Amino acid sequence: MTDLIRLNRRLLLGTALAAPFVARPALAAGEVIVRTPGGTYDDVMRKYVYEPFTRETGITVRPVAATSAKLLAMFRAGNVELDLIDTGAGQLLTLDRMGALAPIAYDKWRWTKPEDISPELKSANRVSNFVYCTVLGYSKEAFPNGAPDSWAQFWDAGKFPGPRMLGDMASGSAHLEFALLADGVPKDKLYPLDVERALRVMDRIRPQIRRFWDTGALSAQMLSDKEVVAGSIWNGRLQVLIDRGAPLAYTWNEHMIQVQAMGIFKDARNVAGAQLLADYMLQAEVQAKYARDLIYGPTNTKSFPLMTEEERARAPGGPRSTQTGFYQNNEWWEDNRDRVNRQWSRWVQK
Amino acid sequence: MPVRIPTAWLLLAPALLLLAGLFLFPIGWFLHASISELGTWSEILTEAEDVLLSGAISRSLVTTGWIGVVVTLLVLVIGYPMSYALSRARGWVFTAILLCIVLPYFTSTIVRTYAWMVLLGRNGLINQILLGLGLVGEPVNLLYNRTGVIIGMTYVLLPYMVLTLFAAMKAVDPRLMQAAEGMGASPAQVFRKVFMPLTLHGVVAGVLITFILAIGFFVTPALMGGPSDVMIAMLIEREVEITQNWPSAALMTIVLLVVTLALYAVYSRFAEPGEAVR
Amino acid sequence: MTAGSVALEGVTKRYGSETVVADVSVTIAPGEFFTLLGPSGSGKTTTLSMLAGFVVPDEGRVMLSGQDMTRVPPRGRGLGMVFQNYAIFPHLNVAENVAFPLTVKRAPKAEIARRVADAMAMVKLEGFEGRYARQLSGGQQQRVALARAIVAHPPVVLMDEPLGALDKNLRYHMQVEIKEISRRLGMTVIYVTHDQEEALTMSDRIAIMNRGRIAQMGPPREVYEKPDSSFVAAFLGEANLLKARRDGNAVAGPGGTRIDAGAGALGASDGLLFVRPEKVSIAAGGADGAPNTLPGQVRHASFLGNIVRYQVEVAEGATVLCDTANGAGAALHAPGDPVRLSWRAEDSRLLAA
Repeated sequence: MTDLIRLNRRLLLGTALAAPFVARPALAAGEVIVRTPGGTYDDVMRKYVYEPFTRETGITVRPVAATSAKLLAMFRAGNVELDLIDTGAGQLLTLDRMGALAPIAYDKWRWTKPEDISPELKSANRVSNFVYCTVLGYSKEAFPNGAPDSWAQFWDAGKFPGPRMLGDMASGSAHLEFALLADGVPKDKLYPLDVERALRVMDRIRPQIRRFWDTGALSAQMLSDKEVVAGSIWNGRLQVLIDRGAPLAYTWNEHMIQVQAMGIFKDARNVAGAQLLADYMLQAEVQAKYARDLIYGPTNTKSFPLMTEEERARAPGGPRSTQTGFYQNNEWWEDNRDRVNRQWSRWVQK
Repeated sequence: MPVRIPTAWLLLAPALLLLAGLFLFPIGWFLHASISELGTWSEILTEAEDVLLSGAISRSLVTTGWIGVVVTLLVLVIGYPMSYALSRARGWVFTAILLCIVLPYFTSTIVRTYAWMVLLGRNGLINQILLGLGLVGEPVNLLYNRTGVIIGMTYVLLPYMVLTLFAAMKAVDPRLMQAAEGMGASPAQVFRKVFMPLTLHGVVAGVLITFILAIGFFVTPALMGGPSDVMIAMLIEREVEITQNWPSAALMTIVLLVVTLALYAVYSRFAEPGEAVR
Repeated sequence: MTAGSVALEGVTKRYGSETVVADVSVTIAPGEFFTLLGPSGSGKTTTLSMLAGFVVPDEGRVMLSGQDMTRVPPRGRGLGMVFQNYAIFPHLNVAENVAFPLTVKRAPKAEIARRVADAMAMVKLEGFEGRYARQLSGGQQQRVALARAIVAHPPVVLMDEPLGALDKNLRYHMQVEIKEISRRLGMTVIYVTHDQEEALTMSDRIAIMNRGRIAQMGPPREVYEKPDSSFVAAFLGEANLLKARRDGNAVAGPGGTRIDAGAGALGASDGLLFVRPEKVSIAAGGADGAPNTLPGQVRHASFLGNIVRYQVEVAEGATVLCDTANGAGAALHAPGDPVRLSWRAEDSRLLAA
């Protein structure tokens, strides 16, 4: 999940570039520095993870913001300023492929049983801490007689008129999957994505697209300000608006499940502390708590029984979610991001 | 009192050190680290060709240049009379105008840009007024398109132009204008034959600085633009953040840097004090 | 009325509660060289600005060539102007500067070229056409300003302290040239200066201004020799102003000495007896009882080259200045020498204190 305040990225990037030449801060005794998406996320994690963890181990946790570019810069400059990385699975894969990550010490886990984490959500150097998803959200006011319930219907501007939005490459990945779904490609035949075909399908809806959003904040704002009547949006962002009483809704049909994951910098100053924190965070009870507040899905299979029926129903990656949605293929995106970005940049500027 | 050369260097030293440490060195490191990743010169050239000749960057350069030109012209047209009013105002009127120009700059660009988004949205204040007055039948799209980018950037860049022009206008001896009037010139002639030529170097300097700033813009087009309003800085950011293709970002950065430095070279020639253009 | 005549009729200008120009009336004949002279703040520049049209009077009328121009903007007045500090346009070269009054009138190119060449010749600036102000000396800039003022042959030219920034030698030179050119072109010149010598040298008539009013107006010699007030007497050159009482048809000067006064003897019983130093003659020896004679003692003698100036102490501690030409065989008086001072009755006036 790359939902940092992207506007500050330039600033952060500047700092990252200058960082290799700045003296290392003194190492705080027993402190784990963790990269997080920031915002509400930090508040929730502090309450359910960081503070209980400190009480348990005496190790303090300091969440910091860092863009993927900053993480990359740190690694390349050989000046790793943080220990645990809590970020989108795609980005983490990039770092892993560069050899930046240390193995996750599954064998030394004290709190979490490694086998409780679904196998597709863990690998040697990476382990997922929650899943979220991108859904088709819409304004109930705009569609009083029935809203679009699939991407094919979303693409049907005749039947469901109004300005809409989709995710830009800058949101992490362009929403080509939805275009292919709209064009009739089955969920399990999406990858490898046929980019040319997806862009051709995109051409059809393009006149209705008010904006391809880049930040979660922008997508939420456009929907709540009625700049658009429908669009792809992260479930957590949308749920917050709905819980506040906005006349918005979404369909669980054809949502894309995406994964957040953790990795530990190989050269981190507190690798041991980072291993402990990851272990602590992934416990079934802990995950159930933060997943509930953040409206994300837990990665520990034992978390689901600890949740209410309603919470389970709206949790990404839950039983209902896996039936109607599909997992985004990070591997494919990591292999093709460069090429797709170039094609996308060209297409989007047409 | 003229400052002797060694003293001048001494006074400049902190700024130069800061610039070297926080700008030149990091950017040099970034460019070197990124481009050396590509390997040999021929590999670098292949990548350069690939990046620079890909439709994305040429389209973006055209977009960037076009937005830069339109915004600069708008800023000039709006800024020139404002600067004139400022240069002629005295006392509290002067303070009031200056505050109106400068005060918004005490808040961040992001906040100001969001403020515009509130005003320009489909259900924003401006559309509500237009609809309320019956001037339009349905909301006008002022946001998430080129119009939005241009409005936002014009607003952000206006003070740079106004303050540059103000300095040039303040330096014009008002007695010259009175003299022209006394010699039979109409107000239009006083402006055209005396005031404008005497402020022309300020116009050139203001246009260049505005354009230089405009082509490097990121926040406003990123927030207020539509799908096709991809300016070069956004493209670079995308390469750095999304695809993490630093060599490609570095090559684009060089393109932007070269254009900016070339324009700056022209600018410094016009901004040279005492070298008024005839 | 003829072209080139100028008249101010009861012109008044106030800024807030301050009256800068009060009820000024003047009539200037075509071709006249008329000077407004006065200390700074006397209202002379404001008066000129009202003639030029930069300032609109609160009361009264401004007439140019017989037409009421009170509210006509400067460009409708057809005047030539030379400004303080010259106001040469820095972005135009000399020729373009000189051509300015013609270009704004959209005169034909050929005419502009011809007139500019004439004007340049008149101010002896041939060959400087392509230069810019910063490449010119003060005197050359002055000439450019002058050429620009006359290039359109305006019937009336206003000059605001045009020589103020030049050194003494150059000043004298330019005074002669301006006078010469104005005579040749037959134009009316209204000239503002605070330099009394300049005013006396150049003018046909001088109006001496004080506190927004014209204190006295007349030909240079008249205002110099027959001042109506102690202000005018003192402002124009050196003046002896001795405390005096009116005594019948004569005047009682210092020590009660009876002195005849000129025709200008004025009303009140007390006043100041005016006489120019150069009108006082000095002779060796003490009192001899002759009329119009003051006995005294030399306090100080200054040798100024062509003249010798004496400070002579007379009765009641008063001092009289006396200038004598350093002519052939002139006798010198030393400090402490007893002397007799005398002058002709018509060279002195009793002025109000």
